[in-house]
Amino acid sequence: MSTSTETEVAADASPRRRPQAPRSGGFGNWLSQFDRKVTPYIYVSPFFLLFGLIGLFPLAYTFYVSMYDWDLLKGKGDFVGFDNFTNMLSNEMFWNSIGNTIAIFLMSSVPQILVALILAAILDQNLRAKSFWRMGVLLPYVVAPVAVALIFSSVFNEADGLANNLLNMVGIADQEWKHTDWQSWFAIATMVNWRWTGYNALILLAAMQAVPRDQYESAAIDGAGWLRRFVSITIPSIRPTVIFVIITSTIGGLQIFAEPRLFDVSNAGGIGGSDRQFQTTVLFLWEMAFFRRDFGRAAAVAWLLFLLILIFGVVNFMLSRSIASSGAGNRASRRAAKKKKYAPKEVVK
Amino acid sequence: MSFSRRRNILGVAAGATAFALLVAGCSSSDDKNDSPASSGAGSSSAAEPVTLTITTFGTMGYEDLYTEYMELNPHVTIEATNIDTGGNARTDTFTKIAAGGDGLTDIVGLEEGWLGAIMEVSDSFEDLRDYGIEDRKSDWVDWKYAQATDPSGRVIGYGTDIGPEGICYNGKLFEAAGLPSDREEVADLLEGDWAHYMEVGKQYQQATGKAWYDHSGFVWNAMVNQLDEGYYTADGALNVEGNADLEALWAILADGAASGLSAAQSPWDWNGGKSFVDGTFATFMCPGWMLGVVQSNTEAGGGDATTGWDFADVFPGGAANWGGSFLAVASNSKNKEEAAKLASWLTEPEQQVKQFNAAGTFPSTIAAQEELAANGEPNAFFNNAPVGQLLAGRAQGVVAQFKGPDDSLIQENVFGPAANALDRGELDGPAAWQQALDLLKELVG
Amino acid sequence: MTSTAPLVKRKRRRGMGIDRSPGFLTYGLLGAFVLGNAYPLWWSFVVGSGTNATRGESFPLIPGGNFISNMGKVLDAIPFWKALVNSLIVSGTITVSVVFFSTLAGYAFAKLRFKGRDGLMLFVVATMAVPTQLGIIPLFMLMRDFGWTGKLGAVIVPMLVTAFGVFFMRQYLVDVIPDELIEAARVDGANQFRTFINVAIPAARPAMAILALFTFMMAWTDFLWPMIVLNAQNPTIQTALANLQSGYYIDYSIVLTGAVMATIPLLILFVVAGRQLIAGIMQGAVKG
Repeated sequence: MSTSTETEVAADASPRRRPQAPRSGGFGNWLSQFDRKVTPYIYVSPFFLLFGLIGLFPLAYTFYVSMYDWDLLKGKGDFVGFDNFTNMLSNEMFWNSIGNTIAIFLMSSVPQILVALILAAILDQNLRAKSFWRMGVLLPYVVAPVAVALIFSSVFNEADGLANNLLNMVGIADQEWKHTDWQSWFAIATMVNWRWTGYNALILLAAMQAVPRDQYESAAIDGAGWLRRFVSITIPSIRPTVIFVIITSTIGGLQIFAEPRLFDVSNAGGIGGSDRQFQTTVLFLWEMAFFRRDFGRAAAVAWLLFLLILIFGVVNFMLSRSIASSGAGNRASRRAAKKKKYAPKEVVK
Repeated sequence: MSFSRRRNILGVAAGATAFALLVAGCSSSDDKNDSPASSGAGSSSAAEPVTLTITTFGTMGYEDLYTEYMELNPHVTIEATNIDTGGNARTDTFTKIAAGGDGLTDIVGLEEGWLGAIMEVSDSFEDLRDYGIEDRKSDWVDWKYAQATDPSGRVIGYGTDIGPEGICYNGKLFEAAGLPSDREEVADLLEGDWAHYMEVGKQYQQATGKAWYDHSGFVWNAMVNQLDEGYYTADGALNVEGNADLEALWAILADGAASGLSAAQSPWDWNGGKSFVDGTFATFMCPGWMLGVVQSNTEAGGGDATTGWDFADVFPGGAANWGGSFLAVASNSKNKEEAAKLASWLTEPEQQVKQFNAAGTFPSTIAAQEELAANGEPNAFFNNAPVGQLLAGRAQGVVAQFKGPDDSLIQENVFGPAANALDRGELDGPAAWQQALDLLKELVG
Repeated sequence: MTSTAPLVKRKRRRGMGIDRSPGFLTYGLLGAFVLGNAYPLWWSFVVGSGTNATRGESFPLIPGGNFISNMGKVLDAIPFWKALVNSLIVSGTITVSVVFFSTLAGYAFAKLRFKGRDGLMLFVVATMAVPTQLGIIPLFMLMRDFGWTGKLGAVIVPMLVTAFGVFFMRQYLVDVIPDELIEAARVDGANQFRTFINVAIPAARPAMAILALFTFMMAWTDFLWPMIVLNAQNPTIQTALANLQSGYYIDYSIVLTGAVMATIPLLILFVVAGRQLIAGIMQGAVKG
């Protein structure tokens, strides 16, 4: 199977090298060593260069600001060291926002990833009008924020919104979507899920498409059903991408900002509901900076959130590594061994 | 993938990167010369070409005025940026001040609600007395001029529009409750203080079982704005705890909510506008700019002019103002003279009339108000009320209240939740007041 | 028990459900899902073609007749074409740059061995964890000092390479390109760059298509930063459209018409990108 690659590479080989094993010693060898050792750094340097130029300054600046009593308009005040941090850590509204953030995160990311996996699996099949279905799941991303705000505000309207109407049909009383904690979390999680599920599904789909089909066939021959194939072949095969989705969903889910802001039409102060029922930490940070004009404390909140995200990220990373590899991985390798054992006989017959 | 396709991708990528760097360095705008004016050049006809930048928000109705000014002053080019909402404009302006002030446009639109905070850094903007604003002082209603004056006497803004308040009421609902529905009779009926307003409301409520106003928050804001001293004393001290005036008003508000006069609506939502149509409430606090909001929401709720909304020349407690903007000249501007000239011109009575016709923003200059009062068109949606005239009347007698740095924060994030608690019956008057005090301590200190 | 003929037949079918082609239930579920996704866009169109009153209806389904006239009003009210061109330039440039550099860096992190690789990769991921909302202030300071405020460069340059893109390509490429293939290329004398072009890029194509699509969408819909750093001389489509929403009387039918008009280029992109989302070429060659 590598013959095609060989021919292609041979055709592209530069004149100064013949398509053979590299000669030992001499300029050619040095060049090849240089090529192998240095080019990786060259390949990753655009990111780090740009980051160093443009991304690093805002990070450093925000950290610098968090060390001072810094009014947004009046500017830098006294040096206070970690006072802003300790102050925020003992601040009730900060913890309220953390609680809201984690709750909304769990309600959104967990179902989102599960549904995205299933959706990707469905899209991976030999559907008719593939492009249509695949792009159809991405439509929420392009809807204008003003439309999103109007629609979801209307759906979760406490007086006669769609959500309450549906609940009434099954005998459940009207829920106060905009005034109660967990109901507002649910509403916002719904907005987030609606927007991002298809997005994540396509990422998983891209990875699933690269899984060789014959693995499925062998498994099917061995009698594995749809679910077994999914759990034992698909998920382990796309494990790096699943990890990617889990990590980016964790990071994104803990930084939710746009949706609670859109949901809170009435409170110009951006406080996430009249009683901060759904104020996420980034919304709290925003309020702190632009409404309370306390830049120093807002910066401290940003870095505290960063720490929280790191913790969650690491935890999720460990979890996803163990889940995707245990059991399933072993089964796959056992099956592969079994296949090798039996294959010659089957083919001959 | 064939070899030529690979080369294609490389070529595209390399080209695009080069393009990106090229674009980063060039402006792709229609080129306008960015030459700084010679300072102190005065308005002679031999003036050097100058480009003035201006940031406004909402619809200020200046587009045609820019064209006119450029025709009158050929050496001036105006580059105008309009930001959609006041909230986003505040983010924009505050970001630029926080980044050092250098980056603000020559002329900046400032909203009344930001002034409290801006006054703490009022030297980000020029003292317009250096550009002759005192000569025009009498153009404006006195309180508007006073609003733009900082504690040390610097005047930092040319007043643009104001929001004199009247009462929007639903004539049909009033009739059904046995109350007069003619505009002038309603004005007589509601003339008085807030306690009287609540009394009439209770009459209405007993007759119909429905609420009198949409939610307590707007009523509270109007109450506070009318006082000589609001959340801050005239010399800038916080004035909430132990403030007998505020407590008395809060008691009236709480009584109203407890008596079912408040419809506990979510402002800016109002059940998708339906509350304006289905009789949920009968009166509404209406500054000039709110008329469009009422109309827009009534239409969204399925109503129209026949729904019955009208506008009465009355406001409980006397004259009141809600909202309004100013044009300020940034201290870092390189064209201060010319910018001040333009800002001054834009806020002259003649231009303010044109502005009103373009965008409905009610003028702050007396001559313009009189012009509208004399020739204003009746508003078909509000039962043909002569709104221009009525608003001009409502603009008289407003008190310029000192706004401290956290004024809008207190209004929105301290008393907003407390008023909401009253509306939802979660807390009674004294308990909600205590909640406000606790929030005040937390948010303002 | 099986002969070669049925094996070959089965090999032609793709996907996991190789025993059966997708049934009614599958299409039903998918259809419901896509309907739920698509309705808000359809709603925008329906209200855009109606009047302000349409926005208050609970479940509008039939479009009105005002779309064309509302389009005219949008074109009158804002510099639509200029903003559209600017957005195309900005989003297009960012997309090409992000995809190229992310694939390059992602490949290096995934397949090449070099000192500090894992640490640097972790660093890349960690940069995503910092909330960026406050960053607009120092970023504005930077752009102002470079003299780029008001120019498209201020919106393009900060986005030329993203941590998301690098991380995504790395995760995708780490399993999709088998090490044997790279070894084979090396044995045949190809240098790093040749290997990258001949081995990595073909394998990465579906991921590149996705990344291109997502990056374009993200750049296209960005609002806050362009609002602050650009001005009316150089609007993007989102900042230009926002002005339809201002003023004391907001006509939502016009606002939403503008929103729909701005979505059309994205929908076109969907069609193009959808076709690119097919399986990588190497899969059959590699593990068979």
